[in-house]
Amino acid sequence: MRLTIRITAAITLGIVLIFSIHSYLSIQREREQLKKNLSREARNLGESLLFIVTEIWDSRGEKAALAFLSRRNLLSPSLPARWVWIDAEEGTKFSPLLPGSKLTELSNGEPLSLLAGSDDGHDFLLTYLPTINHSGRIGAIEIRESMDELHDYVQESLRRSAMVVAAAVISGLLFMTVLGSLWINRPVRRLREQAERIGTGDFSTALDVGGRDEFGALASTIEQMRGQLAAAKQAEEKATREQIEALEKLRHTERLATLGRLSAGMAHELGTPLNVISGRAKLITNEDLSTEETVHSAKIIGEQAERMTHIMRQLLDYARRGESRKQLVDVSELLANVVEMLHPTANKQRIEIKLELPEEPLLARADLGQLQQVLLNLAINGIQAMGQGGTLQITLNPHPTIEKQLKISLCDQGSGISAEDLPHIFDPFFTTKEVGQGTGLGLSIAQGIVNEHEGQIKVDSTLGEGSCFHLSLPLADPGAENA
Amino acid sequence: MSQPVVNNNRQRPPSVLIAEDDQALRELLSFALHRAGFSVACCNNGLRLLEMLEQGIDDASTAADLVITDLRMPALTGLEVLEALFDRPNRPPIICMTAFGDAETHRTAIRFGATHTIDKPFDIDEMIELVRAVYKYNNNRTKE
Repeated sequence: MRLTIRITAAITLGIVLIFSIHSYLSIQREREQLKKNLSREARNLGESLLFIVTEIWDSRGEKAALAFLSRRNLLSPSLPARWVWIDAEEGTKFSPLLPGSKLTELSNGEPLSLLAGSDDGHDFLLTYLPTINHSGRIGAIEIRESMDELHDYVQESLRRSAMVVAAAVISGLLFMTVLGSLWINRPVRRLREQAERIGTGDFSTALDVGGRDEFGALASTIEQMRGQLAAAKQAEEKATREQIEALEKLRHTERLATLGRLSAGMAHELGTPLNVISGRAKLITNEDLSTEETVHSAKIIGEQAERMTHIMRQLLDYARRGESRKQLVDVSELLANVVEMLHPTANKQRIEIKLELPEEPLLARADLGQLQQVLLNLAINGIQAMGQGGTLQITLNPHPTIEKQLKISLCDQGSGISAEDLPHIFDPFFTTKEVGQGTGLGLSIAQGIVNEHEGQIKVDSTLGEGSCFHLSLPLADPGAENA
Repeated sequence: MSQPVVNNNRQRPPSVLIAEDDQALRELLSFALHRAGFSVACCNNGLRLLEMLEQGIDDASTAADLVITDLRMPALTGLEVLEALFDRPNRPPIICMTAFGDAETHRTAIRFGATHTIDKPFDIDEMIELVRAVYKYNNNRTKE
């Protein structure tokens, strides 16, 4: 709307200016023309009168001539004429209305027309027609014309011009308002609405203002922009989706790989109690056992079933897929579980696992399965780094420097990590193990999971002496969780 | 199965040495084999097994007639024990137990000198039959 007002104001001003100049010039010209006409009329009259007066003066004398003039004035009062002597004293009967200094041209015998104002504000056109008498004295017929008519005419012209200008301004304003709202305001409003819609991130519908003017062009430019933005957004969404899928796939792969590594141990863990159960059951069925022996066998069957249930539960906890399901986790308990799961692997490599836990329980809000995966990964890495024999020290403490965090350290006595490998160990697919031994995903996924838990993994390592992985996680507030 | 194994060569029943780190399984095997007429001795790791094979179960006179060992054990694994015994001339027959072992594990055990391999979980009756068969075969061969 402001734009319309501005354009309207500018155009109106232009109209007013042009009309004013035009009116002024026309009036000036008309006025000149009118004045010329008046003076010509006066001269014609004056020449006739001068001729008659000169004739009378010559034949019948001065008095008769002046009497003729008086009579003539009585008959035609609109253009009074009188006889003047140029050299007459000012204020006397025959002195001209204008001072003698302005009438020097009359001595050449040329007629003269001049404007003069009277005391009461009326303007006059004074026309002098000179003649030289026998004695050489310069006399003249002075004709006085009132300019009131001319003034009236000019006034009327001005009034009309003003009215025309006003009419032009008003109709221009109306016209501009209508056209402005039609040609400017409406497309601008639509453009703005749609641009605002795009601004809020809604790229769904195409932008259309219509028309082939500048707004149409602007709209089509914005539409192109919208198209590109929508395409970019789509591409970005697709990339994000693919990234998430890839990450999910990686995690799944890694989970399967870890599961594979562990399944040998699991088979051992499950195979043994199964064996005991089936054996004891057979003993009870086939042999003539004493009551005491039967009861003992049945008890052992119960124990072994319990043991298997426990193992199955651990396996399920570990392998359960799906969304991150955060819950309150007692980290001490989790670590104890992890150590238990690692026992077969560690035993096989004659590795001792030392677990150091604080007296008070430390709770974290975490996805149990994911956190377990991280810890298993780190611990198995440590065990693999040691090869045969050694100690894996796992320590849990409240974080010594960061408030409201806990710290889990896993220190092995393995081969350590070289300084050049150290910056890359969290990169996906980075592995120093032989082909087929590791996917190179474990640490990157572990870091991803820990980051999702708003924690951090740090590592310090000395080549040949071992590595320590330090894992920090925010402590959960049990008071808030219990509600 | 309750029929005792007749040992013609010696006055005592044939002795079986069991190496298994899981206590429940160890007890089951020793109980079942004992009832089947064997004299049974146990240990829970590879190192101890090797010691008992080298020094005799109680003393040098009580050598094991047959060994049943788990492959996955602390201290020394079954495979390592097999490797250590490989060059010994009159080592007893050895039956190896593996937990869901793949073909490769079985092949490795046989290559290292195991007489027989058996997957866990196994049927306890089958195990006893296997022990009997292996013992009998070995006994006949040594007699010849």
